Amino acid sequence: MASVTLNEITKRWGDFTAVDQVSLEVRDQEFMVLLGPSGCGKTTTMRMVAGLEEPSEGEIFIGEKMVNDELPKDRDVAMVFQNYGLYPHMSVYENIRYPLKVRKVDKSLHAEQVRIAAEKVQLGHLLKRRPRELSGGQRQRVALARAIVRTPTVFLMDEPLSNLDAKLRVNMRAELKHLQHELKITTIYVTHDQIEAMTLADRVAVMNEGVISQLDTPERIYNDPANLFVAGVIGSPPMKLIPGKMREGTFEHGEFSIKLTRGDHEQCVLGIRPEDMEITRPGDGIFSAKVYSFELTGESTLITVILGDERIIVRGPKDYRVEIDEQIGILLNPENCFLFDSETRQRIRI
Amino acid sequence: MRDRHLKYLFVLPALFVVTATAIWPLSQSFYLSFREWKLNRARDSKPLWEYQYDGLENIAYLFDNYLYALEDDLLWNSIRVTSIFTVASVLASVGLALGLALLLAPGGKFRLTVRTLLILPFAMSPALIGVSWRFMFQPDFGLFKAFFDVLIPPLADMDWLGDTTLAMVALVGSDVWHWTPYLTLVLIGGLATVPQDAREAAMIDGAGSWRVFMDVTLPSILPVLAVCLVLKTIFSLKMFDQVYMLTNGGPGNSTQTLAHYIYFNGFKYYNMGYASAVSYLLVIPMFGLTWIYMKLVFLKK
Amino acid sequence: MIFSRRFTQQLLDLLQFLIILVAAIVILVPIYWIVSGAFKQQVDIFQLKLLFTPTLENFKIIFQDPYHLEEKLLNSTLIAFFTVIIAIPLATMAAYSFSRFRLKGERIMFVTILATQFVPAVVIVLPFFILFRDLGILDTRLALVLVNLSLIMPFAIWMIKGFMDSIPIETEEAAMVDGSSRIQVIINVVVPMALPGVITAAIFCFILAWNEFLFAVIITTNKAVTLPVGLSMFHAEEGVLWHLISAAGIMIMMPMFVLATLIQKHFVQGMTMGAVR
Repeated sequence: MASVTLNEITKRWGDFTAVDQVSLEVRDQEFMVLLGPSGCGKTTTMRMVAGLEEPSEGEIFIGEKMVNDELPKDRDVAMVFQNYGLYPHMSVYENIRYPLKVRKVDKSLHAEQVRIAAEKVQLGHLLKRRPRELSGGQRQRVALARAIVRTPTVFLMDEPLSNLDAKLRVNMRAELKHLQHELKITTIYVTHDQIEAMTLADRVAVMNEGVISQLDTPERIYNDPANLFVAGVIGSPPMKLIPGKMREGTFEHGEFSIKLTRGDHEQCVLGIRPEDMEITRPGDGIFSAKVYSFELTGESTLITVILGDERIIVRGPKDYRVEIDEQIGILLNPENCFLFDSETRQRIRI
Repeated sequence: MRDRHLKYLFVLPALFVVTATAIWPLSQSFYLSFREWKLNRARDSKPLWEYQYDGLENIAYLFDNYLYALEDDLLWNSIRVTSIFTVASVLASVGLALGLALLLAPGGKFRLTVRTLLILPFAMSPALIGVSWRFMFQPDFGLFKAFFDVLIPPLADMDWLGDTTLAMVALVGSDVWHWTPYLTLVLIGGLATVPQDAREAAMIDGAGSWRVFMDVTLPSILPVLAVCLVLKTIFSLKMFDQVYMLTNGGPGNSTQTLAHYIYFNGFKYYNMGYASAVSYLLVIPMFGLTWIYMKLVFLKK
Repeated sequence: MIFSRRFTQQLLDLLQFLIILVAAIVILVPIYWIVSGAFKQQVDIFQLKLLFTPTLENFKIIFQDPYHLEEKLLNSTLIAFFTVIIAIPLATMAAYSFSRFRLKGERIMFVTILATQFVPAVVIVLPFFILFRDLGILDTRLALVLVNLSLIMPFAIWMIKGFMDSIPIETEEAAMVDGSSRIQVIINVVVPMALPGVITAAIFCFILAWNEFLFAVIITTNKAVTLPVGLSMFHAEEGVLWHLISAAGIMIMMPMFVLATLIQKHFVQGMTMGAVR
């Protein structure tokens, strides 16, 4: 049980800076998700916590202890790898037991601890198999069982669900959430999937180009993005970003304008989520546009309209129907509009 | 990764062995090439640079072995033989291998069975190949005599290894037999990486099988083909075992390759200094080819 | 006359079949020639008969006075075995380091090691001959093992590195996080996973050392003579003893056919240094 503290850590390979002075405090028992596109430094950050990479600068603390000079084996962390990192020449039982064996846990306890860990991930019946005889989902469970067989201070998970098919991923997500709740172990979880981040995290650190763009709860990441990067990453489909200018309390775009209570800005970007736009009859909304395509997703509909050079996706009610090339009106609520500075890429709040 | 010392510690023994068994002899040969070293005479004769001459003459004497080489007709002969052998064996083996690979690539039971045979010649000792081909070329009761007796009687009485041209043909033949199946396997491996969907797309786009080969297949296996060419050239230049066992350089010196000539000078005439100098004539083109080969191999990475 | 498409296709298929068949025969005939020669009596060799009464007599003769092929067999086996036994552990360690770490001058070291395989053997043997003569170890198995290392090391390092590269590094990292030291990682994870590759490389190198001829013919004269060099001893006043050479040839090639078939796929990759997959 411990917190993890990163104090201005940097990782460089030659001229390339993978992680740039990142500071982060993961609280005791917290589920922290590092979210970002590939190459943003999230995996490198986690690997430095594990001790698989050495930071070029900065300090890493697990609990009160500075662990920069500790080998991975002495850090008391457990890690689940993207491709699971199972030992192909060992049975499932031996795989799960391995951490106990090398950590010299009393031999008489092994069988019982492996059994408990295996049951927690519903693997009890597969202990004699070899990894190659298992399905992807089962291998994932072995990797999990191997991580929880002892009680580590910190769990590290590197895109653990990315190799599973969509359905299995949803199931495992729920199980991970439950497991973490039950074990109450500080967890750092790396993913590029924003839905995993939103559903699992206590807090999300959105990373981009080696720095943390925003560190917040999932709600606030969604409802209160701090900058253009976060706004563009979160949501499916993500927020529509429309360039324009603020003048005398009005956001002006070539095709439409909307009153917003913000100061003047020559170059800014309006952000609006598909689900925050409302469809009305042509002429009634903030603007009217022609329907380019219409999709059913089941729980809602997605309508793509063309406004000048922009394609805008609007989420409609599930029973809404429209024909391609029809004109419709779009209503925007100023309260749901976000405004960003095009230069600094930061939110404009006043 | 940590283990800063371990990683060097792990490479060190191998590096030592390679240095001692390959790099040391390479540089030692170079040193020997500047000495008047006759094994059967003085135990350790003088380096050439210790002979006292004046000025230019001194330098000239240092390169005595090399200067002698320029006027050595037998050396020029062996260079000519090596060149002819290399060009003929490389073109024949790689060309045949490409054709055979294309024929065998499709798969199916018959073709797969034949493919398993391809490994055999290359696993055979080249010295044994030399001997067995000499057996086959035996003019009185060899296989070739039997073969031509039945098919083309006028050719049956040829003395293959007694004729300067035919001996070269025989040497190239045995080498092509040794290498073609192996190169075929390499090229089949290369053909397996040709993207099937690209070939299918070309066919749907209207290309006939010849166009598909020229536009899709050949460009994709070009790197593999280049590897085959360079690799085979290197091994053809080094060719020794079969020369020794099949023709022993004869008749006359008509099949004496460079490697064989170096062997002759070093271990029959015990003229180590001269053998070393000549061997550098073999080493230098090898450096060039090795460099090309390494480029080809590491280009892929 | 215009053939139908179908007919032309069938004709082409038949032509392909025939060419492949001829190629297969060309590959097999020299091997068959040795095999049949080994079971012929000397008189049958001269008569070129297709039908002959097979005899095992030749295999008896080659192991008797004055040939004693068993000595050459033992030399070949011991020399190849010890060359491999020395080379493989060293190559495995180096390959692991090359595969897993960044080293200073790594590329230079690696390329140099690989390039040494192309140094003509005749160049390597010149200084070694003088050295061995001075040390008084000409015509010993030890001398041949030492020079053979120059032949084996580059291939061994390359092949084993290839196998190591294909082992996911995640597994080793998992073992480290699970609590293993570097040495434990190597013993518990790397060695078991790399073992099939290491054995394959060992077999490949065994074949190379077994078939090696140039070093052997120069360095050995009597005591340490290997099988390929031993082929030259089957001469008598009446000429070459082809039936005995053939019998000895079987002893040389058959074990290698078995070994090469065992590692078929990797045999191709080994020689081209993985330039082809």
